Amino acid sequence: MSGHLTVENIFTAYDRADVLSGISIDVQPGKITCILGSNGAGKSTLIRSILRLTPPRAGSIAFEGKTLDQMATHEIVGLGIACIPEGRRIFAKMTVEENLRVGAYLVNAEKTVKARLGKVYEVFPRLKERAKQLAGTMSGGEQAMVSIGRGMMTDPKLLIIDEPSLGLSPLFVQENFNIVRRLNETGVTVLLVEQNVNQTLAIAHYGYVLSQGKIIVQGDSEMLAKNEEVQSAYFGGAH
Amino acid sequence: MGMIGQHLLNGLMQGTIYGLVAMGFTIFFGVMNVIKFSHGDVLTLGAFGGLVAVWAANALGLSVPLQFIVALCVAMALTAVVGAGISHFLIMPLRNAPPLNMLLMTMMVGTAIREAIRLFFPNGTNPQRFPELLPAGGFNIGPSFFRTDAIILIIAGAASIGAVYWIINHSKFGLAMRAVAEDTETARVMGINFGRIIPLTFALGSITAGFAGMIYALYYSEINYSMGLLLAVIGFTAAIVGGLGNIWGAIIGGYLFAGLQTFVVAAMPSMSDYKNVFAFVLIIVLITWRPTGLLAERGSERV
Repeated sequence: MSGHLTVENIFTAYDRADVLSGISIDVQPGKITCILGSNGAGKSTLIRSILRLTPPRAGSIAFEGKTLDQMATHEIVGLGIACIPEGRRIFAKMTVEENLRVGAYLVNAEKTVKARLGKVYEVFPRLKERAKQLAGTMSGGEQAMVSIGRGMMTDPKLLIIDEPSLGLSPLFVQENFNIVRRLNETGVTVLLVEQNVNQTLAIAHYGYVLSQGKIIVQGDSEMLAKNEEVQSAYFGGAH
Repeated sequence: MGMIGQHLLNGLMQGTIYGLVAMGFTIFFGVMNVIKFSHGDVLTLGAFGGLVAVWAANALGLSVPLQFIVALCVAMALTAVVGAGISHFLIMPLRNAPPLNMLLMTMMVGTAIREAIRLFFPNGTNPQRFPELLPAGGFNIGPSFFRTDAIILIIAGAASIGAVYWIINHSKFGLAMRAVAEDTETARVMGINFGRIIPLTFALGSITAGFAGMIYALYYSEINYSMGLLLAVIGFTAAIVGGLGNIWGAIIGGYLFAGLQTFVVAAMPSMSDYKNVFAFVLIIVLITWRPTGLLAERGSERV
């Protein structure tokens, strides 16, 4: 089992104000770890910190024992960390297949790329039908498939998923979560960042609740599902 | 009517040069949202680099075809390095600055290159003769005379336009380039090293300028330090008319502008000195009619 990510006491700021103040998390290999929190709690900033799109100003992040603290984003991705970004962020002016190929950008062997394309098309047969269509002309649900498929193309050890439920119907969210669970069963470590508490805790093994830039609760998902602070974090309770 | 072939050839020749220059503008804009006004002067630099290379190759006693190859390689390598250097050292650091600062910076770089050529090139203020490296002569089809070198240059230019188009739309580098153009941050998250893709993109766009400079030099057998100025304005116009950011638009815009010029020359030979005036007036009318360019709304080819 690989894909162990540790975040140690990081502080991240845009301009001067800290958005994250002293966050530590441990993403266990082979598990689904979730980060819960309301809008503005700092969830996306945590992901940006891990990928060093917004490098933390203090603290340390390591992947499989290797520090990421001096690395560029593309080098971190090269270690086997993939991200399905919030809002899908597909390349609208590219075809579906080109979008997927960007996901496998770091792979040089065409054979490997083809094999991964085949795997993605197996999970999402619709993407195969639409391979030559411009991604921007597809429905929201189909774009979500492109975004997930693009993440799968990286064949990551650790898959970071930012708010996959955003803007999707509950049925579709369930479908996506099933895919996440199946990916995890094939050995991919998952860090799932979500607002949607119940559906997330149903598939996650372990979770952290983020509020105003700090971890306020952490524990097994069964425990979190019953925890009152989890509920209050979402309904504006004071901490 | 014997002039028709000549006009056609001339128009195609100029359209190829304009299209190549316009492609550069469109590539730079697509990937960095920058109007790079030093583009024309990079073209000039390529032509002068080619000239020096011919002199050197000649002094070394190389044959004429070899001189041609050396000149072409030097022009392209020089513009590639200069283009990549400008983007890496000057444009990248300014990428979060207001667009006007970037614009001003590229204009200053262009002026610096142009003035440097004028001052430091031997007798740089005056036009330089560019040796004829392609087979002279030509042939008649009916009453029309066709220059052999012009035909070679048009084919080479069209092939290079095709090559750049292929690189952008079908190579892995082109894929990365388009990803960076559309969403730099997501491109980085996919493992693309944009700190390398951007200079390479500028190198590609600048090579097209170097190539255009060489075509110009070989066709007109004369270059001068300010040749890039008008070519840049025309190339930029062509890119805008085609819809900035759209590769096909740039190519069409280039041939369209050359077509307008050629039409003026062919229809009113006595007014041929005014061909740019007429062409720009027609473009002004066209832009007023289609403010976003001819192909802007389709936009799928943006790089």
